[in-house]
Amino acid sequence: MGLPDAPGDLSSEVDVDAFRRLFPLRFYERHLTESIRPDGRPLGRARDTTIALGAVASAEGSALAKIGSTTMLAAIKMEVMTPSMDSPDEGCIAIDFHMPPICSPIVRPGRPAEIAPVVSKQLSDTISSSGMINLKELSLVSGKAAWMAYLDIYCLDADGALFDAALLSAVAAFSHLQIPAVSLNDDGKIVVVSEENGGKLEKDAVNKERMKLTLKSIPFSLTCVLHKNYILADPTAEEESIMETVVTVVLDSSSQLVSLYKPGGPVLAYTSAIQDCVALTRQRMKELQKILDEANSGMEVD
Amino acid sequence: MAGKPGTTPTTYSPSPTNQKIRRPIFNENEVDWVRPDGRGFHQCRPAFFRTGAVNAASGSAYAEFGNTKVIVSVFGPRESKKAMMYSDIGRLNCSVSYTTFATPARGQGSEHKDFSSMLHKSLEGAIILETFPKTTVDVFALVLESGGSDLPVVISCASLALADAGILMHDLVASVSLSCLGKNLVIDPILEEESYQDGGLLITCMPSRYEVTQLTVTGEWSTPKINEGMQLCLDACSKLAKIMRSCLKEATSTSQE
Repeated sequence: MGLPDAPGDLSSEVDVDAFRRLFPLRFYERHLTESIRPDGRPLGRARDTTIALGAVASAEGSALAKIGSTTMLAAIKMEVMTPSMDSPDEGCIAIDFHMPPICSPIVRPGRPAEIAPVVSKQLSDTISSSGMINLKELSLVSGKAAWMAYLDIYCLDADGALFDAALLSAVAAFSHLQIPAVSLNDDGKIVVVSEENGGKLEKDAVNKERMKLTLKSIPFSLTCVLHKNYILADPTAEEESIMETVVTVVLDSSSQLVSLYKPGGPVLAYTSAIQDCVALTRQRMKELQKILDEANSGMEVD
Repeated sequence: MAGKPGTTPTTYSPSPTNQKIRRPIFNENEVDWVRPDGRGFHQCRPAFFRTGAVNAASGSAYAEFGNTKVIVSVFGPRESKKAMMYSDIGRLNCSVSYTTFATPARGQGSEHKDFSSMLHKSLEGAIILETFPKTTVDVFALVLESGGSDLPVVISCASLALADAGILMHDLVASVSLSCLGKNLVIDPILEEESYQDGGLLITCMPSRYEVTQLTVTGEWSTPKINEGMQLCLDACSKLAKIMRSCLKEATSTSQE
């Protein structure tokens, strides 16, 4: 196979895979003019999304969320702590996002991905500012004891839209969370009431039954890639690497804007583009709400 | 992902060949002792394997043995680190990590720092390193949930992931561990049994070649017990390799359809 001299002629001579690797941007632009993406999706459609609750038996609440092949495993472990002086009747939530080396070829042990702490911070900001969780519900004895919820999210497979998948797995894990029953023992310490002796509770039971948190205004997000005048919803890793301008919109279940991220990128987002992204997120929010409700109702049947 | 085991033959317990000799031991005062999950002493947990768990990797596998759940991704062969010297044969790089929620108490997984080197040692004999000179194959394992016998599950899962990535090996590597509790040998111990054990034994082998790549014996053992334990593990390993092989066959037959 001889080397063609001008890149303009290449499209007809090299095969599709080689063209995709050599001229990724032109490959995508050819698709975009036809209003379709290489994986067969229309521009505004997100990938198939699934949620499986209770994936980790050793945690009090857990969920596995998949958007396309992007996979996130979130699990919540509850520990009893002494609340701070400033907020004696509130619990606390610690959120951490991890990208272990298994998830992507760019992460290696000892060389963590740059994006991991960014997503981690975005997640804590979003969850705390959405007001989804009433921290007072995590209080046990005012000023003495409260729950500390450790939420750890692991990216098992990174293929774009990491924040969306991480947020989805986080809210799903909170919806699955069962706070264990605890009681106050004679030494004034909190002890977990185990299943076996659950029948004979001590008189100082703090919360008698395992309980669920009431989640109000759950946040859902959609990441879009902007390129020229095109808006691509829910990008894959390949799309994110080729077209670098991303906009992430977070809406809560009553369609109120929780947060909006546009971290740089060569394309300036016009207000109309931002509005289009919000409109796409509104649609997506309804889809995600339905998927989450179905996952939860599936758990109740079991 | 938590698929239901049962579609493929998933039990790999060793067959009771010399059970008659052992029986008198059980007939003493320990008959009433049962394992926490109700298994027989020589009964393994159902094994579930699935390849292709991570799309971003060259090859990957997910394994679930009871509550022990691990994912292994293989990357490469790819360029070695710049600082590495020239090498005629390929390099193998292994790393095992735990999620913070893997263990009953949060963040205990960092205790297993030796697992990365153990994984490396049990695999390097099986991989034909000559086939990818100058480059490195990375094997990364993440223990999602620790339910006991973590290392053998990681090793078996890693060899399946290597096969999925198309890395040439002499044979699949299967690994089984065993705990010595008093007079009894319990195979494929769960976390609770491992914490009470008097001694532990781990065998990693290539069953078709009948070669052992790693043997670790810790704690208090008598020579006859070691012999008995090794036989049990080797038998279980060869059965485990059959399950792994059927998983690979299933994966290729579904991809061809």
